[in-house]
Amino acid sequence: MNHLPPKWADQFLEWYCNPNLLEDLQGDLHEIFYDKIDQGNVNQAKCSFIWLVLRSFRLSTIKRNSKLKNSALMMTRNNFKIALRVLLRDKFNTALSLAGLAIGITCFFLMGFYVKQELSYDQFHSKKDRVYRVWLKEVYGEDKIFFNSVTPWLFETLLEDNFAEVETAVQFDNQNFLVGEGNTRYNENVGIISPELFNVFDFTLLSGNTSAPLQGKNDIVLSESYARKYFGDQHPITKSMLIEMGEETREFKVAAIFEDIRKESSIQFEMAISNENNIDLYGERSLTAWFNVSPETYVLIKDKSSINTVEAGIPEVVMSNLKDRVKTGEYNIGFQPLTDIHLNPAIPVGIAPVGNPNYVSILGVIGLLVLITACANYATLSIGQSLKRSKEVGVRKVMGALRSSLVYQYLSESLLITLFAVIIGVGLTQLGLPIFNELTGADVDIAFEPWHLLLYAGLVLLISLVSGIYPALVLSRLRVISILKGNSQSSNKHFIRKGMVVFQFAITVFLISSTLIMRKQLNFIQNKDVGFNYDATVSVPLYPDPSAQRLSQMTSSAIAKGNLLKEKLNQHPDISKVGMGTHVFGNSGWADLSYTDDKDTFRQFRMLAVDPYYLSTFDIKIKEGRPFDPESGLDKRESIIVNQAAVDYFGLVDPIGKQLPGQDFGTHTIIGVTDNFNYSSLHTEVEPLVITQNIIPIYEGISDNSFGDSPIPKLVFKYNGSQLTKVKYILEKEWKATFPGEELSFNFIEEEMKFQYESESRMNRLVTVSTILSIIIASLGLLGLTVLVINSRVKEIGIRKVIGATEASIFKLLAGSFSLQLLLGITLSIPITYWLMSDWLNDFAYRINIGIEVFALGAIISIAIAFVAISFHTIKAAMINPVDSIRVE
Amino acid sequence: MKRSQIGELEELVLLTVGTIYEHAYAIMILEVIKEHTGRNIDVTAIHSVLRRLENKGFLTSTMGGATKERGGRRKKFFTLSQAGRNVLEEVMDVRSTLYNKLPKLTFTGLST
Repeated sequence: MNHLPPKWADQFLEWYCNPNLLEDLQGDLHEIFYDKIDQGNVNQAKCSFIWLVLRSFRLSTIKRNSKLKNSALMMTRNNFKIALRVLLRDKFNTALSLAGLAIGITCFFLMGFYVKQELSYDQFHSKKDRVYRVWLKEVYGEDKIFFNSVTPWLFETLLEDNFAEVETAVQFDNQNFLVGEGNTRYNENVGIISPELFNVFDFTLLSGNTSAPLQGKNDIVLSESYARKYFGDQHPITKSMLIEMGEETREFKVAAIFEDIRKESSIQFEMAISNENNIDLYGERSLTAWFNVSPETYVLIKDKSSINTVEAGIPEVVMSNLKDRVKTGEYNIGFQPLTDIHLNPAIPVGIAPVGNPNYVSILGVIGLLVLITACANYATLSIGQSLKRSKEVGVRKVMGALRSSLVYQYLSESLLITLFAVIIGVGLTQLGLPIFNELTGADVDIAFEPWHLLLYAGLVLLISLVSGIYPALVLSRLRVISILKGNSQSSNKHFIRKGMVVFQFAITVFLISSTLIMRKQLNFIQNKDVGFNYDATVSVPLYPDPSAQRLSQMTSSAIAKGNLLKEKLNQHPDISKVGMGTHVFGNSGWADLSYTDDKDTFRQFRMLAVDPYYLSTFDIKIKEGRPFDPESGLDKRESIIVNQAAVDYFGLVDPIGKQLPGQDFGTHTIIGVTDNFNYSSLHTEVEPLVITQNIIPIYEGISDNSFGDSPIPKLVFKYNGSQLTKVKYILEKEWKATFPGEELSFNFIEEEMKFQYESESRMNRLVTVSTILSIIIASLGLLGLTVLVINSRVKEIGIRKVIGATEASIFKLLAGSFSLQLLLGITLSIPITYWLMSDWLNDFAYRINIGIEVFALGAIISIAIAFVAISFHTIKAAMINPVDSIRVE
Repeated sequence: MKRSQIGELEELVLLTVGTIYEHAYAIMILEVIKEHTGRNIDVTAIHSVLRRLENKGFLTSTMGGATKERGGRRKKFFTLSQAGRNVLEEVMDVRSTLYNKLPKLTFTGLST
């Protein structure tokens, strides 16, 4: 009998086991143990004892006794039970807090997901940390800088051959081609890519040759949705597709299908061919040129290599190739991380559009602000309730509640309410997302992922702590004696509560006035007299003759084709002022030409090639000289018109009959000067512009050109009919009759102009949504506070009425208690708004002044809303019969 | 017909308690079952079954006197209650009724 069962197991059994069961169970186990000992098997006895103790640890044996009821676990259960009862007792207040929090959370989610989407660009590539985009910066003097993130073609081999650190370099380019045959030809944007592109980026190949697509010149890869567009349900692999390239129509074979490229990718293409085709498309000379840019180049750095080593080696490689043509420091090649592309405005835009990082951070901050408002709202409401609950606290304390347990109690309340709020918020976000996307054009997409649950749980904890800790501390601090005596609380707490109301108002007024300022600016730019008339004006891109090679041939052949269409359109009574030009309004990339003039100054200007009618289509005024004369052959060959900015820029005095300062230009004469009409977006000042019918004399004198917009002419006309939809019908009919088999596309200039301010107006809509939500939260808060304040002053109101106060004076008294906080909030918001909005307005060359009226209007709106929120209950309180309120003590 | 569901082990334990009649406690039940069926059942399983049967009202229990081999701890003795007896009989009825309906053919068929 020297052996005892293992002590820890025995103690563990005693710890967990229900005492009612313990004696018998423990006895049995001991009996078995000693039986085994008697059989002389000590180790086995011990092992089996431990095993049996562990086996007995099941729900039915675990004790539910008084000891555990005091523990945190049981108390928490009790806390939640009480919290639920408290919340249900005051349904009105709970509903207000819940609604406020839920709306705040919804706003936070919506903004948050928008921000996350913007930040997640290009993050899905597994090799993203090793991929860089190459940029080229040529610096030839103060103003003569060419900075591009599209590069010469030869960079691909240059980087691969000269740097051991580079695993692969790939290029991405795109061009529009007519794809398809017969009557189903579409004008498609076709990617021209290095075959290894699929090894560098995570674009998933679904079927076909998934290991090495684009093996030859005639292979083409399609996205899933494009495979469906062209082949329907048929199996697309090895099917042929016809693409018109230059003069010939080439046949491509579908080699592979890839998964549709995600929205958050900077590189986008629906169909792509190998860049082996470059030689046919651009000619051999282009491919070896150092000063001709078109594709984006991406390099994949070897594992554990650094881009810095490549960067350091660049100057040497450049100089060894170009020492006769450039000086050191003039031709610079740099690298930008792949994930930096979407939100870095410092590097010029390549092929993919770039977002504005300021907007992303502003929206993130706004989402957070609205959430904080909601938290402050909840805190204010629950502190306000402390008036009611002070007796409860007193009694609890008398019964021996510790301060910490009171804090836990109140925190459980906020935890519970936040939990519900987050659940409602998640639901609202899902429901509201389509509306949100519609309103803002943000195109946010929330796919549920398991980690979201963690996020939600974290949010519940964080929000409940942030919004609950202060009320919990305030409530638990109350002194028993003063509560039970009926004294009111210290004024310190009122101060903080009022502070929170002020804070909430400051944010709301800030949002309201920012929305108003944005709206004002957007109205301003959209209604600003831009110097030309674009009402009901339509533009139709023309196609050049497939055989045209040089730009001048393309331009003239497109104009010749345009004339065919023009003749037909002119027969329609509703269509007038048909003209043609290389660029139209609403697109900022007008031909940018540069040269060095006779005084050795570097000059840059933009050029528009037109037919004689273009200027009158848009009612562009000639302020000096005369417009083009359609009958004059001289005008067709050598007359040019410049804008006022060009006159100032070139320093021309009395410009009519003069020439542009430069030696190499062909024969040309300035015949007219136009006003400075804003042909580019109002983000920029009007730049010098030369308008000509014949581009050849101008091209002779320039050294560089670049286009952000296709220089192929477009046909423009005014539509005078009442039904805009009829335009489409007329155009389609005449287009088909003139150019069968080519795809028609057309735009209303007005829409294109609006589109230039798309990111600003999207921002404005996003802010408006937040503003409305925060207004709702603030009014809910005020509503709740009014109710609480009135409840605590019911007797006072009664007595005042008995003594003879009028209803109006009581309303004034009650409303007056909020006025100061409101005014303070408004005052505080003004400098913040002014500072942030000036910054936003700096993006525009033409901008409004932030007038005092914006703030006045913002203040009036918020005061009006506040008074509506306050009034309902205040009036009710003022009307109450004093008998009812003071009868009962 | 309202019937209390009891499981196979429950039935076995119930029967055993009934047959021991007096001073049936967990370990004894365990040994009796082992003796009759050869099944080596864990004592914790017996305990959990006994608790369940007691909660269902098929068994009643009393605490016995202290014994030395258990470190002075008392045993818990179980006896079959009337309800337990009824449920056992129901189960037996069902079984024997079904058994009697078993066609004899089955056995000859199986022997080949």
